[in-house]
Amino acid sequence: MTELIQVIILGLLIGGVYALLASGLTLIFGVMDVINVAQGALIILAAFVTWALWDATGLDPLAGLLVTTPMMFVIGYGLYMGTIRWIQGKPPSTSVLLTFGLALVAEGVMGLVWSANLHSATPSYFNQSFRLGDFYFPKAQVFGCAIAVGVLVFLYIVLTRTWLGRAIRAVSANMSSARLVGVNPRDVAALTFAIGVATTGAGGSIAAVLYPFLPGSHYAWISRLLGIIVLGGMGSLPGAVVGALMLGVAETMTATYISPRWATMVPWAVIMIVLLARPQGLLGAKLREDVAV
Amino acid sequence: MSQAVARALDSRPFRLLSGPGLRLLVAAALVGIALYPILSDNRYYQNMIILTLLFAIMGSGWNIISGFTGYVSLGQSVFLGIGAYTTALFSVRLFGPENPGEQGVNPFWFVPVAAVVAGIFAAVVGAILMRTRGHSFVILTIAFLFVMQLVTLNWSGLTNGNHGLTLPLTTWDREYQYWPFYYALFGLMLLSVALSWWIRRSKLGMGLVAIREDEDKAASVGVNTPIYKVLAYVGSAVFIGAAGGVYAYYLTFIDPRGMFDIVISVQVVLAVLIGGRGTIWGPVLGAFILEPLLETTNTELGIGGNERLILLGVLLGLIVLLLPRGIIPSIQDLVTGQREKARGGLVGARLERKPLRVVERAQAEAREAPPGPLLEIRGAEKRFGGVRAVDGVSLAVERGTITALIGPNGSGKTTLFNLIDGTMPPDRGEIWFDGKRIDGLPPYRRAHLGIGRTFQITRLFRNMSVLENVVAPLRDFSWRRLGADAVSGPEAQRAHELLEFVGMHRFADMRAGSLSYGQQKLTELAQVLMLDPKLIMLDEPAGGINPTLIAHIEEMVHELNRQGTTFLIVEHNMPLVLGLCDPVLVLARGQCICQGSPDEVQADPAVLDAYLGADFALEQKAGVS
Repeated sequence: MTELIQVIILGLLIGGVYALLASGLTLIFGVMDVINVAQGALIILAAFVTWALWDATGLDPLAGLLVTTPMMFVIGYGLYMGTIRWIQGKPPSTSVLLTFGLALVAEGVMGLVWSANLHSATPSYFNQSFRLGDFYFPKAQVFGCAIAVGVLVFLYIVLTRTWLGRAIRAVSANMSSARLVGVNPRDVAALTFAIGVATTGAGGSIAAVLYPFLPGSHYAWISRLLGIIVLGGMGSLPGAVVGALMLGVAETMTATYISPRWATMVPWAVIMIVLLARPQGLLGAKLREDVAV
Repeated sequence: MSQAVARALDSRPFRLLSGPGLRLLVAAALVGIALYPILSDNRYYQNMIILTLLFAIMGSGWNIISGFTGYVSLGQSVFLGIGAYTTALFSVRLFGPENPGEQGVNPFWFVPVAAVVAGIFAAVVGAILMRTRGHSFVILTIAFLFVMQLVTLNWSGLTNGNHGLTLPLTTWDREYQYWPFYYALFGLMLLSVALSWWIRRSKLGMGLVAIREDEDKAASVGVNTPIYKVLAYVGSAVFIGAAGGVYAYYLTFIDPRGMFDIVISVQVVLAVLIGGRGTIWGPVLGAFILEPLLETTNTELGIGGNERLILLGVLLGLIVLLLPRGIIPSIQDLVTGQREKARGGLVGARLERKPLRVVERAQAEAREAPPGPLLEIRGAEKRFGGVRAVDGVSLAVERGTITALIGPNGSGKTTLFNLIDGTMPPDRGEIWFDGKRIDGLPPYRRAHLGIGRTFQITRLFRNMSVLENVVAPLRDFSWRRLGADAVSGPEAQRAHELLEFVGMHRFADMRAGSLSYGQQKLTELAQVLMLDPKLIMLDEPAGGINPTLIAHIEEMVHELNRQGTTFLIVEHNMPLVLGLCDPVLVLARGQCICQGSPDEVQADPAVLDAYLGADFALEQKAGVS
C-alpha cells in the first residue's frame, strides 16, 4: 500500500510537469488545428540550452527557464512567420509533415552542436529528497512540479482574464466569426504559436533536471505529449492537465509494477486506445460536423 | 507572356513528358536499370540503385493508401519491418544455428510469406485504424509503427530484442554479388507500379479517389467505404512486406530500431511528394531523385547522420511549402492548363435534355412492393450537445408521392435527411424503408436498398470528371466488379443516358470542380439517379439557381415520378413546393407539426405560427412589411 501511494505521488509530480509541456501543444492545436510535432524537439532544445548554461556558468537549471522561455517565444514566433503561416487551412497531414521536418532539422542541429550522447543537468539537489512520514518527495520533481503549476496558472490567467486570452479563445472557437468582430486571426495565431512554443522553454529547463536526454529523445517526448492531449481531448487545456496527471501515474506504475522497458509503450497504447474508443478524449466536446463552420 | 509559356511547353523536352514521349522515356529508363548490373560491376552504384528501388516500392505502396485514398500514413515503414522480421525469423528458426544440419537458405522462399504476413497485419490493423480520419489517422499510423518497434525490442525471446538477428547464409554463389537482391527488388518495383496502375483504372481505384475527395458522399452513393479502405491499406502493404524480406537478406543483420524506423517512413513520404502523389510514376521518380541525392551528399560531402536529418527536414519543409503537389502533377497542370485555355470552355452552353429510358428495376419493384409506406420514421431523435435538432419526429412517405418537407431554418430538416441516409446515427427512434428497418445500416447499404440524396450545398468529387462522377455510384457491392475498368460496361452507357436526361452530356469530360453551381446540381441529380433509387431525397433543389433551371428540375422530378420514383424534397421556394408536392410535411423545433395537402398546410395556424412567430400580428399592425 505504501509503495502504491509512493508511486502515485511520483506519478502526480511528474504529471504536473507533463501538464505544462502538453499545454503548448494543445493550445496550438486548439487555435489553429496544427499538431506541432516539433514540440518534442523544442523541449530537447530548451533542455540543451539549459544544460549548456548550467555547465558553463553554474546557473541553476531551473532558473534557466528565465532564459529559455523568452528564447523559445522568439523561436516560436519566427517558426510561425517563416513556415506555419503558409500552410494554415491545408489538410492536417501537411502541418504534421512540415513540423516533422522542423523536428528533424532541430534533431540534426542539436546532434551537431552537442553530440548524440546522453546529457543531464545535475544541480546539487538532483538526487535529494524531502521526507514526509514513510514517503519521499524528490526535490527536483517537487521544484519542477511547483514551477510548472505556477507557469500553468499564469497561462490560465492570461487565457481567461486578458484581451489576448479572449481573442485566442474566440479564434479557437470560430475563426471567421472572430475576424468579423475585429480579431485578426493571423496575429492571434502568431502569438498563440509563440506562447505555445514558449512553454517548451520552462518545460525543457525542468525536463533537463528530471530526465537524461539526447537529440533523439524528442520522439519519447512527442509521444507523451500526444498521448496526453489525445487522452484529455485535443485542444482542451483542462483536458491536458487531467491527461498529464493520468499519464504520469500510468507511466510510473508501469515502470514499477511491470518493467521500465514497457513504460515507453504507455503513451502509444493510450493514443491507440483513446483515438479508437473515444476520439474526442476525456474532456473534449464532440461538436457537430455536419454544418459548415 | 502566356504565349511564351505555351511555346515553351510545346518545345521538345516538355512534349517528352507527356503521351508517347513519356512512355518511351520510362521504357528507356527501365531498360537502363535492368541492364546496369550486367554492364557494370560498380558496387557503389548497385547499392544505390538497390536502396532506390526499395524506396520506389515503398513509395508506390504509400501512394495507394495516401495518394489515391487520401489517408496519409506516416508509419508505412512498419510493413518493411514486419516483412523483414517475418523472413528473418522463419529462416533463423528453420536454417539458423539451431538446425546445423541445414546448410544455406534461399531467402526467396520466405519473401511471399513476408508479403502475406504484411497483408494480414494490414487487413487487421487497417480495419481498426481506418475508422478514424485526418489528424487521428496520421497519429495512429505513427503509434502503430512505434508500438511494433517496442514490441520487437521487448519481446526478446522471439526477436532477440535490441541485439538484432543475423540471417543465415544464402545458397547462391558469391559470384552473383548483389544480383539476386537487385533483380528481386526490380521485379517487386515493377509489380508495385503495375498494381498501382491496375488499381487506378479499376472501379476500386475510382472508389478510392471518391473517398479521398469526399468520403461521406462516397458512402451515400453506395461505395462500401470500409472494404475499399482496407483493400487499399492491404494493397499498400504487401509489396513493402515482400521488399522487407529481400532487404533483410541484403543487410544480413536487422534490429528493431533500424527496421521500424520513422525516418524511413518520412523519407518515403518525401520521395512521393517530390515525384507527385496520386500519380503512377511519381513515387518512382521521387525515389530516383531523393535516394541518389542523399547517397551522393553522404559520400561526396562526407556528411553524417545529423546533416542527413537536417537535409531531410529542410527538403520536407521546402516541398510542403513550395511544391506541395510534386513534379509530375505540376507539369501536367501546366500542359493541360495551356491546352484548355486554347480550347475554350463550354460556359453558358445550352442544356439540351432527352427523355430517360425507363430501367427495369424501378418498374418491377413498383409492381410487387410490400404494403405500407416506402419510408417511415418513428420517434427519431438527434441531439448535438444541448440542442435537440430532431426531437421525436414521426412521419411516413407513401410510395409514388412527391412529398415535401418544409420548415423554418433550424427546424431539423437536413439533420433528418442525415439520419435517413445514414450520415449520422439517431440517438433514439426507428427508421423503416421498404419494409426493412434501416437505422442500424451503414450509408452505403441504404444506398444499395434504394435511397439516393442530393446535398444542400452540392458535393461532387471535384477532381473527377462529370462522367466519372456519374459512374461512381454503386447499386450493390461485388468483389468481381472491383477489378473492372472504372468507366465501362452497362454503367458507362447508363451514365451517358442520365447525363443526356439532365442535359449535361456535353460536359461529360469536364472536371466537376470547374462546373457552375447549377450544373453541379444537375450532375449530382444524375449521380443519384445512377443508383436507380426508389426514394430520392432532394435537399433544396431550387436553392441558388435561376428560374429556368428550376422549371427544368421540376419537369425532371415529374418525369421520374411518373416512372415510379418517390421523392422527399426539402425546399424553401414555396411556389415550387405547393405546385409540385403532395403531401407536405411541416417540421418545426425538431418535430413534425403538420401533414396534409398544400391547401391544408397553408391554412394550418400551427404552421403560420412556426413560420412567422407569435409577433407576426403585432408587426402587421405596426406597418412593418
